[in-house]
Amino acid sequence: MNPARWKQINDLFHAALERDPATRDAFLRGAAGSDEALVREVRSLLASHRRSGEFLDQPAWGVAADLILDDGAALSLVGRRIGTYVVVEEIGRGGMGVVYAAEDARLGRTVALKALTPEYTRDPTRRERLIREARAAAALSHPAIATIFALEEIDGHLYITSELVRGRTLRDELRDGPLPPAQLQAALVAIAEALAAAHQRGIVHRDLKPENIIRRDDGQIKVLDFGIARSPTASSPTATKLTQAGVALGTPGYMAPEQFSGADVDARADQFAFGVLAWELATGEHPFGTDPASVIARMTELMEGKTAGLSRALPLPGLDRIVRRCLRAAPAERYASAEALLADLRALESSPARQPMGGDTLWWWQFHQVAIAVIDALMPIAMWAIRRWIDRPYGSILFLIALAVATISVTLRLNLYFTSRVHPSMLVEQRNRSFSAIVIADVLLGVLLLVAASLIAGEHDELSALFLSVAVVVLASLGLIEPATTRAAGLKA
Amino acid sequence: MEDDRQSVDSLLPIVYQELRRLAASYIRRERPGQTLQPTALVHEAYLRLMKDKPGRWQNRAHFCAIAAHSMRQILIERARARGAQKRGGVRHRVTLDEALVAGGERSIDLVALDEALERLAAFDPEQARLVELRFFGGLTVEETAEAMNISPATVKRHWAVACAWLARELQGSPPA
Repeated sequence: MNPARWKQINDLFHAALERDPATRDAFLRGAAGSDEALVREVRSLLASHRRSGEFLDQPAWGVAADLILDDGAALSLVGRRIGTYVVVEEIGRGGMGVVYAAEDARLGRTVALKALTPEYTRDPTRRERLIREARAAAALSHPAIATIFALEEIDGHLYITSELVRGRTLRDELRDGPLPPAQLQAALVAIAEALAAAHQRGIVHRDLKPENIIRRDDGQIKVLDFGIARSPTASSPTATKLTQAGVALGTPGYMAPEQFSGADVDARADQFAFGVLAWELATGEHPFGTDPASVIARMTELMEGKTAGLSRALPLPGLDRIVRRCLRAAPAERYASAEALLADLRALESSPARQPMGGDTLWWWQFHQVAIAVIDALMPIAMWAIRRWIDRPYGSILFLIALAVATISVTLRLNLYFTSRVHPSMLVEQRNRSFSAIVIADVLLGVLLLVAASLIAGEHDELSALFLSVAVVVLASLGLIEPATTRAAGLKA
Repeated sequence: MEDDRQSVDSLLPIVYQELRRLAASYIRRERPGQTLQPTALVHEAYLRLMKDKPGRWQNRAHFCAIAAHSMRQILIERARARGAQKRGGVRHRVTLDEALVAGGERSIDLVALDEALERLAAFDPEQARLVELRFFGGLTVEETAEAMNISPATVKRHWAVACAWLARELQGSPPA
């Protein structure tokens, strides 16, 4: 078929379609003249048009719903013998295939046998790369890494055998909420150790997520699938996940922006995933939200080099700083190595309470708190000085109210200041508790100053102007400066 | 084109998830035959992206085309994998007539459709693109018109003839 011919067929098809079915044949013969082939073609298409009715009217995902939902691994291998392995039971399904526990007859041990889905193995270059990387990963030996034994090709299918790890995945643990602080710290250190060990040998995980990490029954953390993880194309998270609204997202939410946009990926991509993971383990929630749309939006921002803002600060300020660094959009702004990340995590472990939070940025916040406390403390004194100029008993009433609100504000602010110096880990929570009281007290104080300024205007213009300007300073600092210093100190996203 | 391929690759995981969600909701569908509202989350995601970040994708048409193409890739890959599992080499195929008799529940041989679509693209790339947007991307006539920058009437005309041609191809009857 050539385009010109097709155009001719199209035109005639539509012209005939507009006519009454009874007269179509006569019309076609008249319009096509001696071109018998043309008449036959259009007639055949018209017949097909009539027959096919709603053909393709339903979108592909409706027509092929079962195809999409079936993870392509329906065939269970349990009970079968594959090479020297006897498959004992199915223990999990992941993006790359089904995982079984299998007896290795040669060595008399039980291993995890992963049957890779054809998506990974059909393409020869992909297959080659997988084999090469599995070989490299098999050289890894670390207590927090599930050791890969072999990648075997049996009857044209690829299988990966590895150390059999039994326990709960961190995804399972997350269903019970965030990890308790002590466990959290230990788990993060173990994962970072695994990363450091692998990165040292040039092996990148690429798909670090709660599903890929298991806490063995004896408490040991094990990272699975090092070096062989794949998350592109038709791989999938477990089948149940997307059928339930609002449940955790699969892999895209853990991918570093450079990975997401298809650029070259190095070890620092694992740091990004680690950041997401750490946030999730600490809070029980994904840092980018729970629906795909908000994750896409965040990922897009990240791909444009903009580090995503996080909805809140982590309860542990030291960890908060580490996570934010891991989640930087630009790989160069993350840690130079997993060792550096690990060092920071360990420091956190040894002195959880003394961890400075924002360095310079926290200093500004502290300065702001003290400065406003000093201004607030001076106001009742000023009120006392001018009370005689205001009619009785309003002068005294103004003074008393000013004294009360200033006391509240100064007390709370100094309390926050001391908390930031002594118990930084409690600061975020404490600030959240007391901030609304501070706002009310400071707004009241500002209003009192304005009232006083208007009452003494005329007789004491200079002082009135002074009061007015202090009121403006108090209110502006509350509305503009404080939010900025708070954000900068990482106390609030 | 290299750029587009990269975009497709990066979109795949998300489109795939989206497909799963849509398919699941489709299966849960109350009445059979009720057409699924094709406004997919892909669109919502797109709108959201556009609001925040105009210009990341050249435009809506570009985004829809990439998403639809990704869906096609995923589905065909799956259909092939399943075909490879089942046999032998013989494709599981329900002919259109059989399927129609069975009451509107159609099972289309996606691999054959994909191949037919490739043949159509050889002499009418526009119609092939249109089918990709409507069938694999799930866009409505109006959305397709907007994405392709043609009128809805033209979309309908192209759609009618492309469907008739594809249906005939899939039935295996030799072209006249």
